[in-house]
Amino acid sequence: MRKVWRGVLIFSALAVSISLIVLLLIRFTPKPPSGEMEHAREILSEAEKSKADTYSKKLYTEAKVFYDSAMVNWRKENKRFIYFRHYEKVRMFADLSAKKAILAMDNSISTLSDLKIKLKQKIESLRYLVSQLDDLFNTYPLTSEIRNRISKGKILFTESEIVYNKGQYFQANRKLTDAEYLLTESYEYASANLKDYFKSYSVWKRWVERTLTDSKKNRDYSIIIDKFSRKFFIYLGGTKKYEFEAELGKNWVGDKRTRGDMATPEGMYKITKKFDGGSTKYYKALLLDYPNEEDKARFRSEIERGSLPRTARIGGLIEIHGNGGKGVDWTEGCIALTDREMDVVFKIVKVGTPVTIIGSMVDLKEVVDK
Amino acid sequence: MKNKVLMGLAAIAMVAFLSSCGKVPQEKIDATNAAITAAQTAEAAVYVPAAFAAVQDSMKAITAAVEVQKGKLFKKFGPISLKLDATLALAQKVASDAAAKKEEVKKEVETTMTAVKATIEENTALMKKAPRGKEGAAVLEAMKTDMAAIEASVAEAQALYDKGTFMDALNKVKAASEKATGINTELKDAIEKVKGKGKAVVAPAKPAVKAAAPAAKPAAKPAAKPAVKK
Repeated sequence: MRKVWRGVLIFSALAVSISLIVLLLIRFTPKPPSGEMEHAREILSEAEKSKADTYSKKLYTEAKVFYDSAMVNWRKENKRFIYFRHYEKVRMFADLSAKKAILAMDNSISTLSDLKIKLKQKIESLRYLVSQLDDLFNTYPLTSEIRNRISKGKILFTESEIVYNKGQYFQANRKLTDAEYLLTESYEYASANLKDYFKSYSVWKRWVERTLTDSKKNRDYSIIIDKFSRKFFIYLGGTKKYEFEAELGKNWVGDKRTRGDMATPEGMYKITKKFDGGSTKYYKALLLDYPNEEDKARFRSEIERGSLPRTARIGGLIEIHGNGGKGVDWTEGCIALTDREMDVVFKIVKVGTPVTIIGSMVDLKEVVDK
Repeated sequence: MKNKVLMGLAAIAMVAFLSSCGKVPQEKIDATNAAITAAQTAEAAVYVPAAFAAVQDSMKAITAAVEVQKGKLFKKFGPISLKLDATLALAQKVASDAAAKKEEVKKEVETTMTAVKATIEENTALMKKAPRGKEGAAVLEAMKTDMAAIEASVAEAQALYDKGTFMDALNKVKAASEKATGINTELKDAIEKVKGKGKAVVAPAKPAVKAAAPAAKPAAKPAAKPAVKK
């Protein structure tokens, strides 16, 4: 019996000793950096939710690299004997990762917010630009290259709006930048062209005043053609009697410079001949005295200055004729009316009737405001 | 004496058992990682980004938990194993969801592409019927350039579709569709107004001062005049 008690005592002592040893072993085991790592991971995850991987890529990548370094070091330490493990480096990397992730998150939030505002403004300004292009230049003769750029820019603009509404702001920004480049460049080109077109406005104004004064003084008919609005006015004694829609040369913007440039000339002319019946292929026609002395002098000066090649020839045989009503500027430089309108004009004008062709009756500001 | 030795051995065996009872569930880890890679290949980051990020985050948490257990004297991988099962199932679901979403987007691209092509064709036909009053033809010319740009955009969308980048293709084809539909509406309105009023829409109103009654138009066209300088 005594022997049994002794055995129990020894066993109990052994168990207590082992438990104590185990407790001591546990007590002195290095504490793994689980808390720090969890914190770093949670912050990284938050940063990703804030789209830091897209909008603060550099900081986010750094945070991720630090986290990965912490993991690598953790694994390395875990391979050592349990009491020889040191987690300081792991903690340091985890801490750096969390700090960078916070920075990335903050940066992403502010970048995203700024980008959204910037994009919204860009969209609004491009929308206005598109409306300006449509209003001012939809029927203005621009080169096919510029037309293509405008069309491409408009589609890109629509695409960027779709992408923006999906919340893909970086992609929207890229597309908007491309659209902005195409549209702004086209608008600037077209505006410069338009501005250049209107640079002779004061001269046109003088011509109109002279034409109307003469019409009043002579109590006779005068014709004024406004190229920009495609209006054909007939005045009698200084009072407007008729107003028609005119169609011009395919390349009507600017004054006529050479033969074959498809431009409708600007100047004060007179009717020199009337054609009808078989003498014209355009139903009825009124020949103008283009080129007049002024046109010839300007042409010579352009040749001398070298702005026109020596082989260039001056144009001629500019007419007001029928066959119009096509809804497009199609002539080679003449002014086309419908046959019905041509009948009216043909009946009331005579050889010598003044025909003043101007770029516009109103100035550029008024055109833009309209 | 024999009993003492046996008891000592039992105690040592118990300590050894307690300290090595957990083994890293490596097979499950590998399987889950493979499922995540499969989800990535299925473009889960593009088609189901939030769910995919959640799976990746869950895996990161598991990897950290494994290291935590590895650092302990008495390892316990049971709960991790359960988490791995859940993450594996989630990764597989994300992969299949991504594939389904991709298919859905693909179908949407195909449908929109067919629709936009039909609209382009319709627009081409409508252009022939559209009024050509004052500036009408000029507006139609501008529309033709827009239509050419739309067709180019559809071709670009087709190229993206062929490359398998359906999301980008969808954005492009949707923009083309919006533009083509805009032109379609404009053309239909113009034609409708002409039918209703007998007047061109793309063409603004006629002059305020009307011309006097015209003289009768000659029945036959005169002979053409020879080419002239202009």
